[in-house]
Amino acid sequence: MSKVTRRNFLKLSTGALFLSGMAGFTGCVESRRPGNLTTLIDCNLCDGCVDLDAPLCVAACRQRAIERIPDPVEPIPQPFPRGEIEDWSNRKDVLDRLTPYTHLYIQRVDIIDGDGGERTIYVPRRCMHCDNPPCATICPFTANHKHSNGAVVINSDMCFGGAKCRDVCPWEIPQRQSGIGIYLDLVPTLAGNGVMFKCDLCYDRVRDDRLPLCVEACHRFAMVFGQKRDIEMEAIRRAAQVGGYLYGMRENGGTGTIYLSPVSFDKVNDAIDSGPGRPHMAQVERHLEKASVLESSVLLSPVIGMGAGLAAAALVAVKGRGGDGGGD
Amino acid sequence: MELVEHWVLALSGLILLASGLLELPLGRRYYVTEIPSVTWAGDFFVVLYIHYAAAILFVAVAFFHLFYHGLLGHNGLIPRRGDLKAAIVVIKSLIGKAEEPPFHKYLPEQRIAYAGMAFIIAMLIFSGLVKTYDNLVNPQLPYILALTATWVHNVFSLFFFLTFLVHVTALAIRPNRPLIRGIFTGFVRLDYVHDRHKLWLNDIS
Repeated sequence: MSKVTRRNFLKLSTGALFLSGMAGFTGCVESRRPGNLTTLIDCNLCDGCVDLDAPLCVAACRQRAIERIPDPVEPIPQPFPRGEIEDWSNRKDVLDRLTPYTHLYIQRVDIIDGDGGERTIYVPRRCMHCDNPPCATICPFTANHKHSNGAVVINSDMCFGGAKCRDVCPWEIPQRQSGIGIYLDLVPTLAGNGVMFKCDLCYDRVRDDRLPLCVEACHRFAMVFGQKRDIEMEAIRRAAQVGGYLYGMRENGGTGTIYLSPVSFDKVNDAIDSGPGRPHMAQVERHLEKASVLESSVLLSPVIGMGAGLAAAALVAVKGRGGDGGGD
Repeated sequence: MELVEHWVLALSGLILLASGLLELPLGRRYYVTEIPSVTWAGDFFVVLYIHYAAAILFVAVAFFHLFYHGLLGHNGLIPRRGDLKAAIVVIKSLIGKAEEPPFHKYLPEQRIAYAGMAFIIAMLIFSGLVKTYDNLVNPQLPYILALTATWVHNVFSLFFFLTFLVHVTALAIRPNRPLIRGIFTGFVRLDYVHDRHKLWLNDIS
């Protein structure tokens, strides 16, 4: 709790205290200290800004994205042999799914209750910032990386737009814009296809101890941002208090985004309109968990080889035959 | 022993190259995943498991080689003073521009190539271990370290592939062809040794 600005304090504590009617949470932004920053998204508080043209969080996020993404070249090179490009540059106003320009959107979920009544909740969706994100660990160019403050950030200067990160993301979050990026300077028709984009947790702002734009923009304080342990404790406390459900604490081995919902996420997932750019809310096992034995063995293999080499050499020395001594 | 080391290193190295290439998102793009029985090539997790399995063998054998032969003092493949000059004479002799000198067990350019390959393998192993540590233990390594490890791994994979091509191409050169038998059996013909490796023959006689 080394740095609490007035604004952050208001967002984090006043919002939590007054709007949810709960007391005791005093999280803060400490981005310079290593440790995963986490967001709690309280669906009890989000109203989807239905009276506005665009929800405040979405508008703030999209404005930043549009300012940062260059226009694609014309014509966009046709990647050999499939010729598939993804060009969203003329559809920057799409707000009902994730796109290269919309890193956050609001999923409206209409749920039929057990008694037949209908209930609507609004779920702001963006990158989950997983604790051990496959999109980053499996990127062949390390264009995608999980930083010490927990933000999973795509370096657009290094990304070739192969979309591997989207393929391995359990929620298929990253979105591709063809016709921009480093691949244009190499062999654009043979390798690469643009740049992948997603929420970067407003990495530059957070680095300067400022809040992500979505958190700052929300007038209902539906998003709470702070150190992982504090946010998790707050999420558990709120869930216990309202009999709510949590999503994101265990999914994919743990994430930096926790959702609190008044209805179970099985019901939310059943009702959700999922598909390309519209992530599900199903339970997710961490795929690479299965690889941990192999990964550990790789890390141990130098020791195994060294031990075997020492043993074999000792055996040969004891038997008194050291090969031909001149060449092996 | 050397035969087993060579083949484990060679086969695991080839699997690493192939699986490493498939970790680039090219399999689906270039229809590799549509070849019957190779559909798994588009599953990056499956390909990663294969890469890890091959890496265990590759790294273990490389360290075995280092310690086993190092401790037993097998230094015939370590480059010696004058190898570079001698290698130029050998290359000239292969194109008929010079007389081929008599050899020890290994040719001077073999010793130079061995040192080069050892350096490439060392860089691949070191960078690969950093990447594995990043994946397993701490995905939040400093970005510059993770980025450097990745690009060292990628660039030296290309060098590994090129040296593999040179290594295999060397067998196509006529004077080297009797060595093909040695790759599979560990033995070469005595008349070949008489003709080409007189210094080695003198040593072991």
